[in-house]
Amino acid sequence: MKNSITTWGLIISIMALSCHSKPALTRIACCAKDDAGPTASLTGSLTQNTSVYQFPGRWTDAHNRSLELKELKGKVQVVAMIFTHCGYACPRIVQDMKAIQDSLPGAVKEDVGYVLVSFDTERDDPAQLNRFTVQQGLDQRWVLLHGNPGQVRELSMLLNVRYQKQMDGNFNHSNSIFILDKKGEVRQSLDGLDPQTGIAVNTIHQLINK
Amino acid sequence: MKAAFPFILLTFMLQPAVRHDYAGMVKVPGGAFRPFLLPGTASGKISVHPFYLDIHAVTNGEFLQFVKANPQWERSGVSRTFADSNYLRQWAGPLDIGDDRIINSPVTNISWFAANAYCKWKGKRLPTMDEWEYAAGAAPVNAKEGQDLSRMILEWYDHPNPVVLPAVLSTYRNRLGIYDMHGLVWEWVEDFNSVMMGSGTQGPGSNAFSCGAGSAGTANKEDYAAYMRYAFRQSLQATYTVGSLGFRCAKDVGSN
Repeated sequence: MKNSITTWGLIISIMALSCHSKPALTRIACCAKDDAGPTASLTGSLTQNTSVYQFPGRWTDAHNRSLELKELKGKVQVVAMIFTHCGYACPRIVQDMKAIQDSLPGAVKEDVGYVLVSFDTERDDPAQLNRFTVQQGLDQRWVLLHGNPGQVRELSMLLNVRYQKQMDGNFNHSNSIFILDKKGEVRQSLDGLDPQTGIAVNTIHQLINK
Repeated sequence: MKAAFPFILLTFMLQPAVRHDYAGMVKVPGGAFRPFLLPGTASGKISVHPFYLDIHAVTNGEFLQFVKANPQWERSGVSRTFADSNYLRQWAGPLDIGDDRIINSPVTNISWFAANAYCKWKGKRLPTMDEWEYAAGAAPVNAKEGQDLSRMILEWYDHPNPVVLPAVLSTYRNRLGIYDMHGLVWEWVEDFNSVMMGSGTQGPGSNAFSCGAGSAGTANKEDYAAYMRYAFRQSLQATYTVGSLGFRCAKDVGSN
């Protein structure tokens, strides 16, 4: 009897240990609900220039216009990376960004822009981005960007967005909304899929008045 | 049509000189392999197109040439957007390696952005994670019968980093003719940020509370060496610089 208790104890400890030695590591499922609680971090004042707008290269928008990121300078920008065929997470990100837009008083609406950059360099051409704009009812303050795969990867590195193309053409990706100040420095990242409209609106007010 | 011809000719002549510089690279034939993290295909395999890969990691000496030609990548001037404060810390000065022993050693303490910029400057690109893993899976040329690659890698992991990093070409050559894929430094790949782990990453229908839920997506749970590489990639950000992390470049077949 004593022996069997010892044996079971040993087996249970081994099982517990092997659990700890294998943390969750997998390819993220697209658009699976992210059950991590919302987290927000406001980057403090930075001594060196870390603007996203240093990043060269031309992008194409939903109206087939060519532009550089630095042309977004001068407004507070609310930015996310998505793809338009995404079933769950991306529509929620767009919804959250719309909620931020709707919560801003009329006086400051013109000081804020909204940018969606697509991972899907193949399917999200300017025409598809334009369809998405109409479908989602996005106004002229929204800029949807199509770039080449290298550019999109580099931007994901700058914003610290993680993504991977799947065999079926869809993407696994982390979910974040970024708030950039007028110079293009990332001042806040709203991570996860729970709306954080209040936090975002506060940050935007602070950044507009700077 | 006649009028267009000289124009077409002119356009052709104005193209920049095409540089097919494959020196120091080998062509890796295409194929399929089972990556450590399962791709969700029926076969569990990923196919890799043929590509060229540098036979060794980029050295301090080679990287110095890049920095000389591109002053924005000097240690003293690089933007914090693109590299953290330990960038090229092993060098004596912004344009001075200092220690002759490391001229032919892999350059380390470089960010992903720096590695990416170097490869572009060379007319190349960083290898994708799948390309790198595929090439790194080739067995050593002089492997003894039954010698296990992952055992060799684990032995490398076991040893502390040497004070002076050995030169490139100093560990082993694999059957593709590529050197030091394991045993010298870790290497950046183009899409290292496609590895995702942590809460909320289980596939649909999986039980987050079951033991080992996350590792259920792996091809070989015993491949601890591969697990370490993927976990390391997961821990990185593109501005990070690490003393044991270098890179090599790749190139498309038939690319300019």
